[in-house]
Amino acid sequence: MDFNRHISRRLHEEHEATLALWGRLEQTLAMRGAKPPTEEDLRLVRDCTAQIADEVTRHFAFEEKDLFPLLAASGEGDIAGLLAEEHATIREAARRFGELAQPSADLQARWPEARALALELAERLVSHVQKEEMSLLPSLEDLLDEETDQALAGSYV
Amino acid sequence: MFANVARSRLLPMSVPFRYFGAAVALHIAAWAALLAGARDVAAFPGGLGWPFAALHLATLGVLAMAAIGATLQLLPVATRQPVRSVGAAKLVWWLFVPGVLLFGGGAAAYAPRAMAPGAVLALAALSLYGWLLARNLWSARGMPVVVAHGWAALAALAGLAFTGLALVARYEHGLALDHSAFRVAHLVLAAYGFMGLLALGLSQFLLPMLAVARPPAPRSAYAALGTALAAILLALGGFLGAAALAGLVAAAIHVVSLERSLRARLRPALGPAFQLVRASWALLLASLALALAMALGWAPPRAGVLFIVLLVPGWLLTFLLGVLQRIVPFLASVHAGARAPPLASALSPQGPLAAHRVLHFAALAGLLAGVALDALWLVQVAAAAGLAGALAFAAFFAGVLGRLKSARVPAHA
Repeated sequence: MDFNRHISRRLHEEHEATLALWGRLEQTLAMRGAKPPTEEDLRLVRDCTAQIADEVTRHFAFEEKDLFPLLAASGEGDIAGLLAEEHATIREAARRFGELAQPSADLQARWPEARALALELAERLVSHVQKEEMSLLPSLEDLLDEETDQALAGSYV
Repeated sequence: MFANVARSRLLPMSVPFRYFGAAVALHIAAWAALLAGARDVAAFPGGLGWPFAALHLATLGVLAMAAIGATLQLLPVATRQPVRSVGAAKLVWWLFVPGVLLFGGGAAAYAPRAMAPGAVLALAALSLYGWLLARNLWSARGMPVVVAHGWAALAALAGLAFTGLALVARYEHGLALDHSAFRVAHLVLAAYGFMGLLALGLSQFLLPMLAVARPPAPRSAYAALGTALAAILLALGGFLGAAALAGLVAAAIHVVSLERSLRARLRPALGPAFQLVRASWALLLASLALALAMALGWAPPRAGVLFIVLLVPGWLLTFLLGVLQRIVPFLASVHAGARAPPLASALSPQGPLAAHRVLHFAALAGLLAGVALDALWLVQVAAAAGLAGALAFAAFFAGVLGRLKSARVPAHA
């Protein structure tokens, strides 16, 4: 889908980057199966950990503070509530994933747990992005005027 | 008239799921009717009886039923417009289900007097659905490609209702009409028109969404739609060879553009549902190739029945079941309402789906071989496999609802 608003395009690009990275991780883990991880796998997991940490702080916080209230005010409070609920679930899973993958942790030793959590996070992120791409971003096209769009895009760094 | 206008585009779960549930149950009934009438399938001349009942239980009961449920929930997402009336959306179901049961039962029992009220109820339901669809499309603000397909499908729905009523009137009151021409028009408008155009249109955003890919370029979607409409008009005008050729071009544009989109997907795993989707595309192309051969006089014996097998259980049913097995758990997870919403994959029992895939493909292959070879035992085995597959799909659907119920418990505890 093509978006006309700056903020929709920006969020869409971030969604695509998230899906590409987590899609790669999901495929790697599926191919590796129950085998122990390689150094490359561990590096990919740590890349994903860094990405998700940024996602749940900056991206999620912006949506919750500036966009979900707009969605709710337009009569789509149930969709805003659903997306916020998913944020909370992803945040919690990302926190546990971050603990497992932090540099001081022995990721190799806790690999089965980390692998299961990574697959869960990948699916949750895909499903969440699908919903935002279908509901939130198209709605912004209607809800935002040029001025508000510029202001939001400027405040989102 | 209907006070409870939906404010949000997210309908209550009970609305789409009542249609999906009815479609799942009538899917079993359709294969059971085919098994009951297996003796008459290969030489099916088109009159009343079990094969006719099976065909209409599949088209009205499964395809149209699930399409109504899916479009009520998915179209508002594409058009950025809520359903105009939740009450009307529920009333359509209450009219359509008994209508389909009466019509199918009457056809199986050679009882046109039972079919007529069934047809009237089904027509009332489809008219009300048509009104909901038109209101939604009229105010649509997004996805013009999907909206264009919606309008075309709506026009085909009007045509198929008219030709269907005329055919029922012929059975009940002996109305004089060109039976063969009306039958062809009804078939084309129902399968390639209403159902086919909805499938083409919804595929433009639904399949890329499920595969996590960018949708095809609008110009390819419009090219496929324009060519498909030309094909349908040619068929209605009696130019069947040209219609089949144009249909083949439209289908090829559709399939190639979606395959390109899927190849560039961001999530490598497509999932087994796409085996059904891709098989359905092959069967769509095969149905049109056979239609072309029939128009040119090159068709094998019993080509008319083979054509219907390729078209209805082949293309449309296979596509629908592929899509349904992805959107049912997806929508269920949306409505879970638990503190940690369950994953769609955790709501999907994979065993019944794997069994369904094998049985469905076996049923299609057996049906095609049984009709081609005029082998009753093969048709019976195929119908039994289809029935077992439909039961497996029902087990999947029940499994999703059961797991959803378990997932909801913590939220209310």
